[in-house]
Amino acid sequence: MSTSSLGSGPGRRARAGRRAGVGVTRPGLVWAVPATVFFLLFAILPLVLVAVLSFTSWDGVGAPTFNGLDNWTKLLHDPVMTQSIWLTLVLTVAGVVVQTPVSILLGVWAAGHQRNRAVLSAIFFIPLLLSATAISVVWRAILDPNFGVPSQMEWLFGDGNLMGSQSGAIAVLTFVGMWQWTPMHALLYQGGARAIPQVLYQAAAIDGAGKVRQFLHITLPQLRNTMITSVILMLVGGLTTFDTVLILTQGGPGTDTTNSAFYMYQQAFKSFDFGSGSAIALVLVVVATLISLAVVRLSGYDKMRGTTEGL
Amino acid sequence: MKRRAFAVALGLSLATVAVTACSSSGSSAGGGSNTIHVLVYGDASNKVEKQIVETFNKTSKVKVVLDTIPGADYQSKLNTIINTPQAPDIFFNWGGGSIQPYVKADLLLPLDDMIAADPGLKSNFLSSVFNTAVIDGKSYGIPMRGTQPVLLFNNKKVLADAGLSVPKTWDELLNAVTVLKGKGITPFALGGGDQWPTLMWYEYVFDRVAGPELFQKALSGDKTAWESPESKKALGMLKQLVDAGAFGSNFDSVKFTDGGSPALLAKGKAAFELMGSWAYATQQDASPDFAKNDLGYSNFPSVPGGKGDPADLVGNTNNFYSVLKKTKHPKEAAEFLKLMYSDEFVKAQLGIGNLPTTTNTEQFLDTSASPEYSKYQYNLVKAAPSFQLSWDQAYPPAAATPIHTAVQQFFSGKLDVDGFIKAMQALPAS
Repeated sequence: MSTSSLGSGPGRRARAGRRAGVGVTRPGLVWAVPATVFFLLFAILPLVLVAVLSFTSWDGVGAPTFNGLDNWTKLLHDPVMTQSIWLTLVLTVAGVVVQTPVSILLGVWAAGHQRNRAVLSAIFFIPLLLSATAISVVWRAILDPNFGVPSQMEWLFGDGNLMGSQSGAIAVLTFVGMWQWTPMHALLYQGGARAIPQVLYQAAAIDGAGKVRQFLHITLPQLRNTMITSVILMLVGGLTTFDTVLILTQGGPGTDTTNSAFYMYQQAFKSFDFGSGSAIALVLVVVATLISLAVVRLSGYDKMRGTTEGL
Repeated sequence: MKRRAFAVALGLSLATVAVTACSSSGSSAGGGSNTIHVLVYGDASNKVEKQIVETFNKTSKVKVVLDTIPGADYQSKLNTIINTPQAPDIFFNWGGGSIQPYVKADLLLPLDDMIAADPGLKSNFLSSVFNTAVIDGKSYGIPMRGTQPVLLFNNKKVLADAGLSVPKTWDELLNAVTVLKGKGITPFALGGGDQWPTLMWYEYVFDRVAGPELFQKALSGDKTAWESPESKKALGMLKQLVDAGAFGSNFDSVKFTDGGSPALLAKGKAAFELMGSWAYATQQDASPDFAKNDLGYSNFPSVPGGKGDPADLVGNTNNFYSVLKKTKHPKEAAEFLKLMYSDEFVKAQLGIGNLPTTTNTEQFLDTSASPEYSKYQYNLVKAAPSFQLSWDQAYPPAAATPIHTAVQQFFSGKLDVDGFIKAMQALPAS
């Protein structure tokens, strides 16, 4: 949605805009129209409609009837809803905590010039090419308790009832999420690491810093902005996790992995209770927005500074 | 980026709205003056539906147009269009709770007038099946595919090796559990990850202990049925079975739909599986040798002192065609529905492995792909005093998820007897 990247379009209008107002070389408001209209039509309008639906009772047949705050009071007292928010947060945080270190190490390693690096990197990035559905189906088969890996490794998996307990199911979701998303974040870190000026390492080497120190004191601080980008992507992805839940656990055992996105789907499209589904969607929007805002503020993402000052 | 993050969050809500907006994308059904639109669940059975439509169109001025929707999306798509100008004239459904909301919204045409004009529309079908689509005393559906009762499948070789015969009573079943456990074999394969296979156990045990009346009472809104002594007895028996390790310990990680539980049975790691009649075709597909040599099947055992007839069945009675009130061609629709008990229909269904539930099916059973199995099922259905539609389809769609959650949690021990009773009493009223 960047409005400044429209480039060399109708230059006359840009000039006109400049003349009318600020003296800086920035495109006028007109440039923002396509993106704004798109955003209003496909984001704000549906959001308003969903907000309206959340105050109605509607099974998809006939017209929605307003039922005041019924959906909301029901949601407030619904243990599954409360639990689903916690599960969403747990899955998101677990995703960030597990994926970040792996991605950084893999990405930084892939940024180097070692022998066989290109070939191995290509292999590591394969999960990136697969659809979430395919990944989930494959891992279900691999983790089958009677015929999959767990049946051959009883010392680790016991009876293999991974999807039968809440902790087991969350662990599976987190692991599969890591397998699926690490390549993409590693790619980000690879790019970030490549952009670090070599002079920094050369200077550090002259000062006698070893590989580990170089990594801790040059690579990591230099990757700060990449890290913020990657974490925000993970947060947004984590909050909306749906496909893996649908195929791997179906929100089960019971409702033990029913996160908010899946609960919304269940209410709206399985139970045909679009009122409750919309209310859940709104809660999710609010939670996601708050978290995004908090991260952007806390990380200083909104005023991201360069990491190469003084070079 | 701030905006981007916001947009992604908003995108979620888009999905909810999308469904309201996409209703105009359907083929323009119902509106045509000289056509009847028939909406069916899209799968391999469409072959027969197409053939019947062709037969009908040969002689009729009003033509039938067949619209199919790929299986998984069928119910949501139907629900989206049924009250719009795009609604079909005739549509596929599962009877019971699947059409109840539409009956309530006054969208469906009671077929009693058609039946009065041609009694064959009722008398040519097995009554235990036909009754599934009777709501508040009025008929709303004509059976149009095959019946799928739930049977107790077994691995004959495993039973022979253990010196067991097919259990006919609950005590024999418990004995089989002990013997098989002793041999390190899981007595019953169970795809608990799918949740609905677990539900089948409740359906049968409740029927055998309390008879079909208990569930009918609960379904009609009398919630005290769930806390009756019979209900508690049935739950106690199920609990006893789970605690005895009858299903092993990792059943919640196994699914029927991805081939997990059928493989347990086929490879002899489990001795039985309670499953819909389609499991026969599943085994033929996945393990042809096993299906040919060692796959056995029987009815669910009786419970001594129980009120339910041991010949009662549960499962999917059949699929049905229902007619919308707003159709412009009720006469032609009736003519079309009459084909559902024609010889041509029966032969075609048997040819693709479905078992129709018409009274004339019997004379064609030898032409079925697996005559012995077809005959066994047909006689079961014909003799069944009661054929209970699966609970999750007898209730309206809103109840399916809470039912699945409750049956899973009772098996895993997260809910006790009282917790389960409360969960069932909290189901959306029908």
